[in-house]
Amino acid sequence: MQELILSQTVFFAVLALFGLGAISSLFFRKDDKLANLAGSFFAILGSLLGIVYAVAALYSDTSIFYEMKSSFPLLSYNFNIDRLAAFFIFIISLISLFCSIYGAGYIKHFYGKYNIGTLGFFYNLFIAGMLLVVSSSNILFFLIAWEIMSLASYFLVIYERDKQENIKAGFLYFVMTHIGTAFIILALLLLYKFAGSFDFLAIKEAVGSIPPLAKDAIFILAFIGFGTKAGIIPMHIWLPAAHPAAPSHVSALMSGVMIKTGIYMMIRIFFDILPNAPVWWGTVILICGATSALLGVLYALTEHDIKRLLAYHSIENIGIILLGLGSALVFAALNMKSFAALALIASLFHILNHAVFKSLLFLGAGSVISKTHTRNIEEYGGLIKHMPQTALFFLAGSMAISALPPFNGFFSEWLTFQALFEGIKSMSSFYRWIFVFSAGSLVLTSGLALACFVKAFGLTFLARPRSEAVKHAKESSFSLRLGMATLAVLCLLLGLLSGFLFAIFNKILQGIKSFGDYDPALVVSQNHLISVNGGFSSISAPAIFAVLILAGIAAFAIIRLISKDQKVKIGATWDCGTNLGPRMEITSTGFSRTIIMIFKGILKPSKQAGIEYSDANMRYFPKSRTMVFEISDVYKKYFYKPLYSFVFKISARVKKIQSGNVNAYVLYIFMALILLLFFAV
Amino acid sequence: MIDAMNNSFFQFTAITAVFLSAVLLHITKRNSTAVSLYFIQSLAVAALLFRPLFENFSLAVLLMAGLTLAIKAAVAPLFFSRLIKRHQLKFSASTYLNTPLTLIVIAALAALTNSRIFSHIASIDPDNKKILGLAIAVILVSFFLIINRKGAVSQIIGILSLENGIVAFALFSGLEQSPALQIGVIFDLFVWVIIAAVFISMIYKQFGSLDVTELKHLKE
Repeated sequence: MQELILSQTVFFAVLALFGLGAISSLFFRKDDKLANLAGSFFAILGSLLGIVYAVAALYSDTSIFYEMKSSFPLLSYNFNIDRLAAFFIFIISLISLFCSIYGAGYIKHFYGKYNIGTLGFFYNLFIAGMLLVVSSSNILFFLIAWEIMSLASYFLVIYERDKQENIKAGFLYFVMTHIGTAFIILALLLLYKFAGSFDFLAIKEAVGSIPPLAKDAIFILAFIGFGTKAGIIPMHIWLPAAHPAAPSHVSALMSGVMIKTGIYMMIRIFFDILPNAPVWWGTVILICGATSALLGVLYALTEHDIKRLLAYHSIENIGIILLGLGSALVFAALNMKSFAALALIASLFHILNHAVFKSLLFLGAGSVISKTHTRNIEEYGGLIKHMPQTALFFLAGSMAISALPPFNGFFSEWLTFQALFEGIKSMSSFYRWIFVFSAGSLVLTSGLALACFVKAFGLTFLARPRSEAVKHAKESSFSLRLGMATLAVLCLLLGLLSGFLFAIFNKILQGIKSFGDYDPALVVSQNHLISVNGGFSSISAPAIFAVLILAGIAAFAIIRLISKDQKVKIGATWDCGTNLGPRMEITSTGFSRTIIMIFKGILKPSKQAGIEYSDANMRYFPKSRTMVFEISDVYKKYFYKPLYSFVFKISARVKKIQSGNVNAYVLYIFMALILLLFFAV
Repeated sequence: MIDAMNNSFFQFTAITAVFLSAVLLHITKRNSTAVSLYFIQSLAVAALLFRPLFENFSLAVLLMAGLTLAIKAAVAPLFFSRLIKRHQLKFSASTYLNTPLTLIVIAALAALTNSRIFSHIASIDPDNKKILGLAIAVILVSFFLIINRKGAVSQIIGILSLENGIVAFALFSGLEQSPALQIGVIFDLFVWVIIAAVFISMIYKQFGSLDVTELKHLKE
């Protein structure tokens, strides 16, 4: 059976289903319902088959290799699916499945406004592109897949093209993703130059022929290139703009899965293709991870736009993933394979967890937006009464991302902490401080993430409605709730089954060149007790779950016991004789103001107060007071704008050679020819 | 032996004719003379292509050489002559460098042909080193014609002269391709001549002259 599932036919059937989804959706573009049905149906089918295929590949003892020759000599459509690739195929298919179920209902509010066929076409193409990225084994083929993924997602970002801000966000994404691609191309061409092959497997074999300096250059280029796609600070500027612009189920895929393709390629190159990395590679990643995590959550706290808030949390979580990845590289460089494996497992587990809870949160936000028609948190409030199920699912996602037990986020962050603590315990002075800084950053990040989601959930679902749209909001349709409900259950299950999952992660690592056989620092006992480094720390997911259930029951029983003789009297809330209104509630700005002021050195907030008096001569009774509280984008201000000005100045000078004179152009060609001949001979 | 000497003399005479016509294209101011010089140059190139037929007859080579003769020495000059007559384009527009300076640059380019860079290229076929040197000189001198002239007719003839230089170089360096491919190239050239003729007419209609420096006004 496993052989049959892992056959070339099944793999191509997965891709073909997405292809069919794309084409059929476009074919029925004149009928919104049919286009939605075709696009969603094939996407769901493709995702289901993808999950089956990925699970079979995860349990396979060997890597799977498919080869298709092309008519171009350097290009071949080679696929290599080892356990690492299978793990990413699983994540892509899993999230695509729930996003597609959700999308089938969500897309309906675009009927008659935008072309549903185009959305279905690019959506299916986007998923197929991601699958190709993680399975391709040829550099040129990989770059084609990377471009398919990037371009399809670009068209999805600008799907709601009537909104000017979406076009701007799309342009920023397009520019940034191609700057990243330029770095990636350079890194991969360097690999080709020294290994003499475009095939990743052949490059892996010829790694000895790559000099250390070239390896360092490849690391820097690949880290910038793939880091741009992953949204690492300071290459992140496209992410908070592009992710919110796309339809919510696409935002979920982009934030939950697409950015992880950058992380996948980092693991592939730094651990598998170029093993025995120097220790500074890991140090750089650790510092970048710690910075991204902390700054990501700080920026999320300042946001009023629910989707931008979630997008900033993606930057934060990529930072957490990088903390695991960086630690693993440092440990691997110092030949501490067991700890390296522990750290990389933490990273892989967080990749899976973040994919699940972040897509859940984006889908939840999408449901709210589709009913309130705004992304501004300030205009929500009290939605728990109108959308109770959406509120429950969003709460599950919020708890998971805030690393609260027994949800999945807690266990991967706990494991990341263990890796960092092992680093502090076992490293010498300089590296120890790097690990101390990283652990400190993660502590702060976790706390701030919790604060941020108290704000996000509280202001969205609790208290009183702050706009008319909220008062008329209704619960989302079945397909939307089904998509969210399954992801919410998964958040809980992945936490409970974390012990079982670690065995799979160990298997994945055995296929990576940097690891091979190693003594696992992470041991899971038969009663699901997860133990790190021979008892350095241990945890049991079922025990935590049981304690929480018991605590809940106990609390419920105590409340019942205390209040059994008390009468419940329901009345209006007393508010000094005035009517209760939304203005009496704490705002998003008010909630985060204190934290922003603590970090004002980093966030650089600006406050502008305005006051208007009823009588210019008597200043006791103001007519109105205004307060504008803004956070300046320091990256744009201090990095991108100066860089843009510099490039603009150079371009203005270079433009002069474009005189419009044909003779001058021929002279350039002539000079170039002579120079080329001069250097060639 | 005598045959080989005759052959070598013929080839050298033909390539010299090609080179001299390229040099004279720089000196002439009349468009009709430029077309005539191109006709002579093309005739010399066609003769070079016909020459192997006397040793080994091949229908494909005959067809290819015949087509070259027809397109380069008949169709193209005819097109340009009609164009010159229709628009009364007797004299070519001015040059960037005056005649003495132009001749100095041509001399420098010819000298460059014998430099270390180009002597390597000319050594592709050591038996034809001098001929290949002349062919490279034709390429460089034609390139310079395109750079130095402001008139569209001169520039287009410069491009065609450059193409003649490349054909001559390919012929003597052994880089000849299959007759089918060469016929394709000739067809390409034919289409290009038509487009160039239309292009010249359009420039004339738009700007009232054939000075290509006027094209910069097309910039936004």
